[in-house]
Parts: sequence; structure tokens; C-alpha cells
Amino acid sequence: MTMTEFAITAGVKAASGTGANDVFTVDGLNVFYGDHHAVSEVDLAVKEREITAFIGPSGCGKSTVLRCFNRMNDLIDIARVEGTVRYHGVDLYDEAVDPVAVRRRIGMVFQKPNPFPKSIFDNVAYGPRVGGRKGNLDEVVERSLRSAGLWDEVKDRLSESALGMSGGQQQRLCIARAIAVNPDVLLMDEPCSALDPIATGVIEELMKEIQSEYTIIIVTHNMQQAARVSDRTAFFTAEIDERSGQRRGKLVEFEETGTIFSNPGDERTEAYVTGRFG
Amino acid sequence: MPTESAGLSAEPPTVSLPSVNSRAVGAVLEPATFLVVAAAVAVAEHFIEGPIGGFGPSAFWVAFWAMAMWSAWHWPAAQTLASSFSGNHLAMLDGRPASPLTLAARELTRAGFLYGLPLLAIEKNIVPVLAMMALSGFVIAKAPGRRAPWDFVVGTVVIEDFGGPAAVIERTEVHSVADLQLNESRNRQNVRARALVLAFGMTSVLVSALIVWSIFSEAWEFFAAQEFSWSSLQGIGWFPRRGIFDVWTLFIGTLWITGIAIALAGPVGLGVAFYLSEYASPRVRRTVKPIIETLASIPSVVLGLFAISFITPQVLQPIDGSIGFASLLAAGLGVGILTVPIIASISEDAMRAVPMELREASYGLGGRRVTTSLRVVFPAALSGISAAFIVGISRAIGETMVVYIAAGGSGGAVLEYDARNEGQTFTAAMASLGAGTDSVAGVGIAFQSLYALGALLFVITLLLNVLSDAIVRRFRQAY
Amino acid sequence: MHDRQTVSLDSLRARRGDDAAGHVFFLLITAAVGLAFFIVAAVGVDVVVEAWDILANRLWDFLASPSSADEAKSGVSQGIRGSALIAAFVILTFPAGVGAAIYLEEYADDTWLSRLIQVTVRNLAGVPSIVYGLLGVAVFVKGLDGLTGGRSVIAAGLAIAVLVLPVIVITAGEALRAVPTPLREGAYGLGATQWEVIRTQVLPAALPGILTGTVLGVARALGEAAPLLVIGAVGFYTTGNQDFVEQLRGAFTALPMNIANYARLPAETWRGHAAAASFVLLVLVFLINLVAIVVRARISKRLGR
Repeated sequence: MTMTEFAITAGVKAASGTGANDVFTVDGLNVFYGDHHAVSEVDLAVKEREITAFIGPSGCGKSTVLRCFNRMNDLIDIARVEGTVRYHGVDLYDEAVDPVAVRRRIGMVFQKPNPFPKSIFDNVAYGPRVGGRKGNLDEVVERSLRSAGLWDEVKDRLSESALGMSGGQQQRLCIARAIAVNPDVLLMDEPCSALDPIATGVIEELMKEIQSEYTIIIVTHNMQQAARVSDRTAFFTAEIDERSGQRRGKLVEFEETGTIFSNPGDERTEAYVTGRFG
Repeated sequence: MPTESAGLSAEPPTVSLPSVNSRAVGAVLEPATFLVVAAAVAVAEHFIEGPIGGFGPSAFWVAFWAMAMWSAWHWPAAQTLASSFSGNHLAMLDGRPASPLTLAARELTRAGFLYGLPLLAIEKNIVPVLAMMALSGFVIAKAPGRRAPWDFVVGTVVIEDFGGPAAVIERTEVHSVADLQLNESRNRQNVRARALVLAFGMTSVLVSALIVWSIFSEAWEFFAAQEFSWSSLQGIGWFPRRGIFDVWTLFIGTLWITGIAIALAGPVGLGVAFYLSEYASPRVRRTVKPIIETLASIPSVVLGLFAISFITPQVLQPIDGSIGFASLLAAGLGVGILTVPIIASISEDAMRAVPMELREASYGLGGRRVTTSLRVVFPAALSGISAAFIVGISRAIGETMVVYIAAGGSGGAVLEYDARNEGQTFTAAMASLGAGTDSVAGVGIAFQSLYALGALLFVITLLLNVLSDAIVRRFRQAY
Repeated sequence: MHDRQTVSLDSLRARRGDDAAGHVFFLLITAAVGLAFFIVAAVGVDVVVEAWDILANRLWDFLASPSSADEAKSGVSQGIRGSALIAAFVILTFPAGVGAAIYLEEYADDTWLSRLIQVTVRNLAGVPSIVYGLLGVAVFVKGLDGLTGGRSVIAAGLAIAVLVLPVIVITAGEALRAVPTPLREGAYGLGATQWEVIRTQVLPAALPGILTGTVLGVARALGEAAPLLVIGAVGFYTTGNQDFVEQLRGAFTALPMNIANYARLPAETWRGHAAAASFVLLVLVFLINLVAIVVRARISKRLGR
């Protein structure tokens, strides 16, 4: 088998009605947890092969919005999503769409590294295996681990438990695990918040490297990180609802990263990026 | 990364490990295979006279076992039959492909020896069979290949999957909703799994329904029977085989047993709970708690024996010589021992659930440990503690064997208000009716009276359980 | 207004008699723990002392002999055999119990059906064991006598299995609930279906707890006598030339039944037999608990936790 078979067979084209290379178009997105209106009226478009960063103070709903892209919110009984999220023009919340199929195309890396209590090999092979892929997974595993820059560190101990790795290695393993199913998009929910600065640097480099293959959306509370890695940045903030007194997330501004950090259009953004609040 | 592909093919494939899926399926199939083989052996023995019917570990079984040993040694890395359907490429350790047929044969022989022999051992000559099993267990344990956790329970030998063409994982375009749908077979599997576990859940409802139906229909026959009259519910005592069903006798007996049990288990259980929750250091707790839990694992028959062989002669008779071989008092204390760990563990949970801040507030005001325990923790945990007592009472009412052994009164009991004498409870009366060679068949409506008592017992314990549940639920909301 | 006094070291020193109530309370609860310890020890010592004659002189003979009217010959082989068969039936209910727990913990939404199942299971766990004997007589002995052969070890095994079922459901449910959310999320995030998540992540992670629960259920089943009494376990029986199927459908006994029968014989000379049988049962229960601990430790180690 040659690697050409792993290569992306075709560029993913956008369907009609959206921007030329938009992967996601979000229109009037509202998220509710029971009675709690967690996120209100978000509109944005995510471009292909770009790194999009979501920043904002805690509780501003940025992770909640991220979890709408691969329908992880479906796992919470009381969560309710209104508005449309289009993925290549297809409504992700159409009744006929299966969230499981969505998650195979849109991978996710979580805040805390969560390797499975299995061998390193089994961790990476997990996605292809549950997908019912037949055949030998050695090459898939190796390719994914190479992509995550982990191969040289672990190639001699593939059968050892993943729980014996360092935190940074575990997070890169989780990235390798997500890559193994060859997704189109990678969602990263504060992937470096549990890591030390060196491991964080490694992961940031890794993101830049794999950007040519994947559309990446990263949630971070680290503004420098957003400035370093992302092409576009969305700034969210939380408003206090006058009637209920609950915090409600809101998208303030969505621009190219340079603009957000040097010349923001909204004073709340400016206050945040200059460190005056949040 | 596509650019790196050139160097890849030169490297040898890394060894992949068996997936948990295939092992899990194997573990489910294993008992199923066992059942088939066991049924076949049993049926064969039932219908065929001769070589299979009447032997010890005869030549047939030795040959069978040798065959199983050989296969266990020779194909240690063969997959279980199930995994061949799960998408893994299967091979023997030496690289030969494994066909489902060879795997099936291997599994059947191995399951046969693992389960067939124990069955044989139960029935026939134990020693040589046990020796053979030990040896086979040793061989399986030493055979190469990885083992699943349940190997020592069900004996699955695992299993490596490697070889075969490399998997291809390609990215496809998304044009419409149809591209975001789950593949049909996985969807079906998901739906089926849900239906299956739902069916298992429904068994418990079915069992409940069966209990209610079987008990109450027979109980109804008791009350509807010709021989039954309401006057037979009163009398000198409980003598069902003579048509005297004085429930009051049993009620007094049950009251005594429960009262004595709680009188012992209440203070002791609470004391233990206070000690474990408020006084013991984590290290001490780790040693003390298992010992208390040991109490819970003593079978009640053993405590029944303990009541007549220790409590009566060593504790009660020195105090009051008039107490006989069997007494309600001894039985009550035996039941109390059973109830101690129940009250202790539920109360302890309730006390530990009291937030640390409450205790700190008390200490901050200069409260001592005893004041904090009694004035802060105890009231805060009171609902949980009352639930513990209710569960304890329910358990004491339902306890059978201790009373059956230690309270005397086989066949029937005279109405007795003195706990130093023999007596009977609802449960012990049922046990006495059930025991004996003529069993519950009994005379007249004695059999049905058993169910009338069962219905009464069921209703009482059900009410107590519902009550404690309600208390616990309210208690959970408080914090 | 309080006067603030100058604080002397003396006034901060603990004084004898200051905390008399505390000392008394501590004494009381320590006494409670001591009494519990004493009971555990007394049960063990009492059983060994009473059983000493048999344990020392004819242990193997006692284990290998059937019940008999002759004191010197009577043993518990039939009881061990019956208990082993009953335990086998309990093990067979294991998938049903775990399945029900999976439904309740993983699938069930808050509907009337799931609430019904939940309430039922909790109440089944609280029903006195002897009531399961009544169920056994009505359903397995009378209703299904074509299959069970009436008052047989099959009927007893099924009744005990039904008795242990809620215990397994509850402990397995607790084990499933303890599986951390990130593990599930990780698997869902890779596009696993709910069943795949359960099968490949949740069940393996919950396995130590589930196995412990099951093993403890088996231990409980071994000690249970009341349902057997009602179903009709007997003290003495002879098998003659019955084959295995006939034996399964014929008269039976079990270890706790042996104990109860020996203990209720009026002649105190049989007390030793009851104690020896108790000793065997206690050792079995103890060994099973040990297996639970070891299996749990092994698997936890394997999972790296």
C-alpha cells in the first residue's frame, strides 16, 4: 500500500449559497441549557485550511459554540440548539444528519488530555476500528503519530499504556488519535490549558504544521496563543441578562487575527486584548 | 505528510494488539459455547448407555482433553471465532490465515475441556479431573499470546491481529445530508444493542410482576378457601397444619426479634459510624472498615449457629439460667449482628455527606469533637440515619435463617410474650412450613397460608423501602 | 460587653476533666467498634472450636461424604455440589444484570419506563430472601416443572439467580456511573456510536467494579438458605444410579441447608457437623471475596489506574 491512498482524494468543495471556501457558516446560533440561555445570536463563517481562534473571558460560551460544530452538545440531555450551522452548505442540525457521522469528519481534542486506558497503538487505532475499517492499521497509526510529531518518541513502546506518557505527549496522542480517522476539521477546546509552556509550544508548532491538511478551530483563553497561531479570531464575551441574572455568551467581533489585536473595531475587544478586563 | 510516504514501506509493520471489542465478544460467546457443549454432554449421558454414560475419567475424556491441550498449545494466538466477523484480519502466530472453521473447532474443543470437565468432576470422580484441569490451566497460562482479564474466569486465550492489506481511510466530499449519515450496519447494531439492554432491564420488571402475581394469587386462595374463617386467625398460637392461623403470635415474635435486633444494632452501628466518619484517621478507617464489612458477609445460617452455640450458652444462660436451647432473645441478638453493618454503613455515608464547612464552623466557634459530632453532624445527617434504621428494620423483619435455627418453634408456636422462650416470626413460620419431607404440600390450606404470610411480608418491606427511599431523596436535595 | 482578659498561657492549656463528655463519648463509640470486632472474632473462634473434632480428624472425609444418619460418616459433599450448581446459575444471570445496568445508566432517559425499572430494581433488592423462595415454588417448581423437574436444584438455582439479579444491577450501575466523562467524550469525539462507546470504553473501564459486584453476588448466593428451604432442599438424600440430568432434576441440598439441618437437630452431638459445614462455607465466602479483591487489583493495574 502506498501513501497516495491516504492522501486526500479531493479537496472539499463548498456547496452553493455560501462563501467560496467556507467550511462552516453559522447563522443566528442560540444555545440553551434547560432554561439557561447560554449563547445568543452568533453569526460567523469559518474558512477552509485556516486556524480560527475563539477567545474571551471564561463563561462566554466559546466552548459551547465549538461543541455545536460536531454536535457534542447532543450528549447533554438538557442542551438545545437553535439557528443553523452549515457544514459545506449542509445543515448539521438537519433531522437526517447523524451526529456520529458528523464527528468522524470533524474531530475534537479536549481540554484535558484524555487518552484511553489502552496501549498507544490502540489509542490511535481506535477511531478507524470503530469505523469498521478492515485491514492492517499499522500504517495508519504510524502516519498519524508522525503527523503529531510523536512517532520517534513512542515507536518502540507502542504496546505500552498511553497513561504512562507525559501530559504534553498525551495531548499530542489525542491529536494523533483525532487525525487517524482523516477528518476534515479539528476542533480544539483549550488544548494547552493543562500543559506547561514547552509542551504548549510543541502543540502550537504542530498546529501550524498540520494546517495545510485540516481546518482548525481552537478555543483558548491565552491571547498570545491566539495571536501566534490563528489566522482569524473571534472574540466572545458574557453579558448579564437583566431579567434572569444569568450569564449569556455573545460574539462581539470576528476578524483577521492581526486586526483583532492591533486595530479592534469594538472597545470591549480592545479592553480584553489589552488586558483591561477578563 | 503524504510526502513522507516513501520511507514508510521499508519499515516492518509494527505489531498491533488485539482490540478490546473482539475480546469482549469472545467473552460473551464463551459461556454460550459452554452451554451448547454442556447441554450436548448432558443429553448424551441421558440417552446413551455405555461408554459415555458410565465412566470416570475414561479414555474418551482423556483423548478429548489431550486434543484440547494440543490445540491450546499449538494455536495460542488464534482469534476467538467472533473476532473473525469484527473486521480484524486473523492469522495464526506463524502467519497462516485462520479460517472461521479452524477457529470454531479450536474454541469448541477448548470450551469443551474447560467446562465439560468441571461438569464431569461434579458428577464423577473429582481428583484426577481436578489434576487434569490444573495442568491444562497451567498450559494455557504459559502459552504465548496476550490474555484478557477474564481469561482466568472464562479461559479465553488471546489473540493477535496483524497482516492483511493496509487500511485505507479516505476523505470524501460533503454535498448533502446523505453524506452525513451513519452507515446502515453500525446504525442497526446501535439500535439492536439498545433493544437488548432494554430487554434485560425489563426482566427485572417481569420478575417483580411474577413475584406479585404468584404471591398474591395464592394468598387470595387462602382467604377464599372453604376451610378458612376469620376466626381461625385468632387462637392459642400459629399451627397452620391444624388450621390455626393466629397471626398475632407471629406478629409478637417479629416485633421481639426486630426490637432486640435494633436495640443491639442501633447503638453499635451508630457508634461505628461516628467512629469511622468523625474520629478515625484515613489509615485507621482503611483497616477498620473492611473488618466491619466482614460482618456483612457472614452468611445468616452461620449466625444462627452462632446464636445457639455461643450467644445462648456463653452470654444469655449465665445471666438467666431459665433460658433454654432456643429463644427469641438469642435469635434477636443474632439478627442484630446481621443488622450492625447495614446501619453502620448507611449512617456513615450520611455523616460523611455532611459538608466539611459545617464542621469547620463548629470548630471555629470553639466546639469540641463530641459537640460537633452530636450537635452538628448528627442533626444534619439525621434523615440519612433514619433511613439506615428503616433499612435495618426491614432487613431484621425479613431475616429468616437465624430465627429458624435459634428461636425454635418448628411446626408451630404458642402465643408467647416472653422473649426468653421460643417463638416464631413471619419468616421463620414460612421456613418451617417449607421445611420437612412433606414440604409445603402440607394439609388443607397450610400451603396457601405460606403465601398469605409472604404477601404480608412483601407489603411491609415494600412500604419500608419506599419510605427510606423517600427520606434519602429528600436528604440528597438538602445538600 | 465582655471584659477582655489578658491571656495567660495557663488559660489556653487543656485541663483534665474539661472534656469529660468527649471522653465518655469516645469511650462509647470505641466500645461499639470493639464489640463489632469481638463479634467477628467470636464467630470465627466459635466455629473453629465447635468444629475442631471434625476438622482435625476427618476433614477430607467430611468434604467428600454425602449426608448420612451416621454421625461418623455424614459429610457435606452433596451440599458443596448443590452450592456450586447454584453459583453456576447465578453466574449465568450476570449478562442480564449488567445489561439492565447498562440500560439504566447509559440509555434510559427520564421516562416512566426507566423510572419503573429503577424503582423495581431498588425494591427487588429489599425484598426478603424467603419471598424469592415463594416465587421459586410458584414459578419454577410448579409452573415450569417440565423443565426443572419440580423441587430441584434447577428451580433453586433460578430462584437464587433472580434474588441476586438486583444486587448485580445495582453494583454494576455504580461501577458504570464511576466511569469518567472525558473517556466517553473522547470516544464520541472520534465518531463512535453510543453502543461502541459503551462496548469499547465504558464496559472495560467499569469491569473491575462489575466483576467485584458479581463475585460478591455469588458469595451472597452461596450463603442464602431461606429460599432453598421453601423450594424444598432436603437434609438427606441418595442419588442411586441417576445420571447427570436426573440429578439436576432430582432432590438436592446446599451447604447452608446442611448447616441449618445439622444445627436444628436436637442432639447437640451434631453441633460439630454444623460448625464444620459453617467453616467450609466461611472459607468459601472468604476465598471468593479474596478473588474479587485480586481480580479488581489486577484489572485496575492493567488499566493503569
